[in-house]
Amino acid sequence: MLKKDLGLLILLIVVAGIVAFLNPRFISPINLSNTANLVGLFGLISIGQGFVIITSGIDLSVGSMLALLGVIFIDLLTTYQMNWALAVIVIVLAGTGLGCIHGFLITKLKMQPFIVTLCGLLLYRGIARWYTDDATAGFAFGQSFPSLEWLTTGRVHGVPLTFVVFVLIAIVMGVVLHRSVFGRHLFAVGRNEEAARYSGIKSERVIAATYIILGALSGLSSIYFAMYTRSISPASHGTFYELYAIAAAVLGGCSLRGGEGSVFGIVLGTMLLQVLQNLVNLLGIPSSLNFAVMGAVILIGVLADQQLVKYRNQRAAARARGALATGDKAQAAE
Amino acid sequence: MKRIALMGAAVALALSSVAGHAADKKTLVFVANGASDFWKAAEAGVKKANSELPNYVMQFKYPSQSSAAIQERLMDDLVAAGVSGIMVSAVDPKTETDALAKIAKQTLLLTTDSDAAKSGRVAYIGSSNVAAGKQVGEILKKALPKGGKCMAFVGLPGADNAKERIQGIKDVIKGTKIDIVDVRADDIDMARAKRNVEDTLTAHPEVNCMLGIYSYNIPQIYQALKEAGQLGKITVTGFDDDPITLGGIKEGTVAGTVVQQPFLWGYEGMKDMAKILGGDKSFIPKDGLIIIPTKVVDKSSVDEYAKELAKMQGKG
Amino acid sequence: MEPFLELEGISKAYPGVQALSDVSLSVAPGEVIGLIGENGAGKSTLMKILGGVTEASAGAIRIDGESRKALKVEEATAAGIAFVHQELNLFDNLDAAANVFIGREPRTPFLKLIDRKRLNAAVQPLMDRLGLDFAPDTSVAELSIAQRQLLEIIKALSLDARVVIMDEPTSSLTMSETRRLLSVVDELKRNGVAIIFISHRLNEVQECADRVVVLRDGRISGRLDGGEITHERMIRLMIGRDLKSLYTPPAAPAGEAMLELAGFRTAAFPESAVDLALRRGEILGLAGLIGAGRTELARALFGIDRPLGGTIRLGGRNVSVKSPDEAIALGIYLIPEDRKQSGLILDDTITANISLANIRAFASSGLVSTALEEKNAAAQCRALRIKAPGVSTIVGSLSGGNQQKVVLGKWLSMKPRILIFDEPTRGIDVGSKNEIYALMRGLADNGVGVLMISSDMEEVVGVSDRMAVMHEGTIAGILTRDRFSEEAVMQLAVGHSGGDGSHTTH
Repeated sequence: MLKKDLGLLILLIVVAGIVAFLNPRFISPINLSNTANLVGLFGLISIGQGFVIITSGIDLSVGSMLALLGVIFIDLLTTYQMNWALAVIVIVLAGTGLGCIHGFLITKLKMQPFIVTLCGLLLYRGIARWYTDDATAGFAFGQSFPSLEWLTTGRVHGVPLTFVVFVLIAIVMGVVLHRSVFGRHLFAVGRNEEAARYSGIKSERVIAATYIILGALSGLSSIYFAMYTRSISPASHGTFYELYAIAAAVLGGCSLRGGEGSVFGIVLGTMLLQVLQNLVNLLGIPSSLNFAVMGAVILIGVLADQQLVKYRNQRAAARARGALATGDKAQAAE
Repeated sequence: MKRIALMGAAVALALSSVAGHAADKKTLVFVANGASDFWKAAEAGVKKANSELPNYVMQFKYPSQSSAAIQERLMDDLVAAGVSGIMVSAVDPKTETDALAKIAKQTLLLTTDSDAAKSGRVAYIGSSNVAAGKQVGEILKKALPKGGKCMAFVGLPGADNAKERIQGIKDVIKGTKIDIVDVRADDIDMARAKRNVEDTLTAHPEVNCMLGIYSYNIPQIYQALKEAGQLGKITVTGFDDDPITLGGIKEGTVAGTVVQQPFLWGYEGMKDMAKILGGDKSFIPKDGLIIIPTKVVDKSSVDEYAKELAKMQGKG
Repeated sequence: MEPFLELEGISKAYPGVQALSDVSLSVAPGEVIGLIGENGAGKSTLMKILGGVTEASAGAIRIDGESRKALKVEEATAAGIAFVHQELNLFDNLDAAANVFIGREPRTPFLKLIDRKRLNAAVQPLMDRLGLDFAPDTSVAELSIAQRQLLEIIKALSLDARVVIMDEPTSSLTMSETRRLLSVVDELKRNGVAIIFISHRLNEVQECADRVVVLRDGRISGRLDGGEITHERMIRLMIGRDLKSLYTPPAAPAGEAMLELAGFRTAAFPESAVDLALRRGEILGLAGLIGAGRTELARALFGIDRPLGGTIRLGGRNVSVKSPDEAIALGIYLIPEDRKQSGLILDDTITANISLANIRAFASSGLVSTALEEKNAAAQCRALRIKAPGVSTIVGSLSGGNQQKVVLGKWLSMKPRILIFDEPTRGIDVGSKNEIYALMRGLADNGVGVLMISSDMEEVVGVSDRMAVMHEGTIAGILTRDRFSEEAVMQLAVGHSGGDGSHTTH
């Protein structure tokens, strides 16, 4: 696992090193803290997206889901005066529910993930705008939820709690993906669904589960984003975020063909993307080049990773041939 | 084929409501450039004008997306439905000039919010972004008598309204010790808007003033400063009247803001269109620009303004 | 008439297999040649060489007196060699005429669009000639199998074919459709087109062939002309080879029935039912021609497909198998026919493949112990003598025999009750084959019921304790070891009743 992520880790360190060299403030505690906060926000949906991509699926509806669940969350707190803990549970469950619907449509009704979630992208955005009558949902000035705010935007010794929660979830998801029975089934289904089925794995359940996990993480993430911006314009909140999540997962070694990926890689991918956003500001690069920088680095990262894997496979194949040849000789000698 | 027919039917259905009214009363439509709270006040203004002029049908329309193509399509459909006048806040006046010219040939066209002078529109009703920028410049001069370094935050720095606002500020602060270091853009992504502020605090510790060019920029500046414990240490000013902006002014952490009066755009615009349709064009100045002045809101006037705003938005 | 196409001394060797050796064949205009042989006798290799898909290792192809070593696909087409394949090569989403002229559509002078008028005009006369009564612009998706086959023949004719090679053309046709096809063969023949008719249906071969060429183990085992073409002679030439003794008798006589199927029907042959019993400790061979419904039977037993009806009794109790995990829970395991697609995750390690179906056994509270997993994989590697650098070797880099052992290893660590092998040694070298046979015998002796589907005559005769022969979705007969003979199997497999070695002739 670490071996495959090594290339990305090096890329991250090189990029960070260059930025720190050009502007030492990059490694100032406050900047690292700010960046960690955003890594936490975007990391949750990236991990969920990574799971979906490992099944060779995709979810395009994440950004719209963030907008819809975000406006509902703010509305629950402001208009309905709901207890915030209850509201958090409602929103996470709602995200889980949407994930269930995606999973059902994709596995039981055999619809293509791209189509199902593209429709989700349009549908949830539309509902969010209709729900708020296209107005910005936000808290009134001075409206305060101390515990919720501490949990979502608070920092302990400069470490944002969002990042702490993200790291905890990443560890749990890492164990699930790389150590659990479910994770093994997930990789098997992603690599060869038919062979997985012939081994008694309920591939449909495994695939549906990934959409449900992503739904739940999107629900949680929508609360974080809502508390970060504290106001949500339903027409623009979260647009493109599904693509950031996909980009982070792909950078992190998830193959869109399925069966490849690691949580650690996705975490690194998310970090790299946020460092890129950060460096545009810190190095005074024109904001308009933001996407261009991101695109170029993803391209280089994925290309380099592919070449590295190719090289490694060639060497492994050569080694295997060598080992077999000596094995044959040994047997012939018997 | 079936699908196109279906879509056609849906469009026809949507327009029949407009066309139905057009049969007996003249219809005037205000077309916004996208959905946002800002237009709620204009919508209230349109409603007020309609209550004074019940012989017209006055409508307020949002394009389904903030895109020039979708807005043009909406206006084409309105023209096809036979409306008598359109007042539009063009999404992108520069590229839409031709399309607006086509509309102007077929019906009465006024522009608002941002102008498209060459489109053949009869008049522009709205603020002058340059003038508004100058007012922000004056707030700055008052707040920073010893000078300062400012960072400007904006959604789309290439858009006319952003450029004109920043130009106005620069015109006023020229020759003073106040200086705009850089402009950071966020593509109307609020999380990025906040991030830009956070990064500015890191990258430019010398910055002692922040300008929010778009309506959500001051709230995001406010939030980021609050979390960084910098509220009150950095001068914040800019445009528009988000509740957080007004709250900050009241609290004393935001120096002031310059607000447009979209209520009056809707109200005056509709009444002016009715006048033009009645044959009276004498009130239009030569350059076709009917400027509704922008207002400075600072600590002394914020309470009064908030009340007024709530009333206009129907919340009061 | 003079032959226009001659094959001289064609040989073809694949690594480890001599697919063809010294095959000569000449084709003259207007003759129908029946080409027969068992599965794997070398028919398809010969046809691939004729079609230019593969190259012969030795020998020459002479066309109109001009000799060459190998053909390219275009050269074969240009020489007038056309194929009507067993798996039809038609595009479902295009209409009939477009399929006939695919890749060489007539174009309009301007814009180079497809000229539908000329296209239809070119196809219509050919359709009339074969008596096809649907319009040229009928979508292929709406055509029956028989109509599609005739469309393939039209495609061949539109290429000015001089010889049409038909590979099992009647395998999925009804009686009346078969008659129609045979009359088309006759019509082509009268027009001077030669036909190479490959079929397992000896009746049809007897009816339409002028002469018959029989392949066995890659060699021509005999040629029959006119009146010599009889069932007995054809079957004798197809089999009749010395069998190496593969058979190891079981340690104990077979016990009670472990798995019983009654009235078991699959989607492949909805009208035919299978009744079959597998006893404890025996290797039951399931023979038959390709497409007889054996793989479908195995898939349904393993829960991949739902059976249409019938009952499964396991150890005397009625059970239902709705999915592979239910089959696995009952101890019914399948080693599938397509090892690379269904049996293995090729780009995963030996360990991951071996523990794939049983991962829970290596996990406690949901977390997998890699150490336990690898220990088990290493044990299987040793027991099965899997040749690999280590348990973390990627399965795709192993040889076919070792890959198959990995599939076996997956199930052996899970205490099988019933093990179904579907073509267990396809594409596997002789050494590994014998190891796998020994493993099967060992399993049976340990009380596992082994059902072995095999199209390899040598294997099914040499390894089974008992044999069931399938024909068109049903068990045509059961043979005990004393009645084993390739002839008896062939008779049952081609649909002749009576599995006792005697047979009736028409």
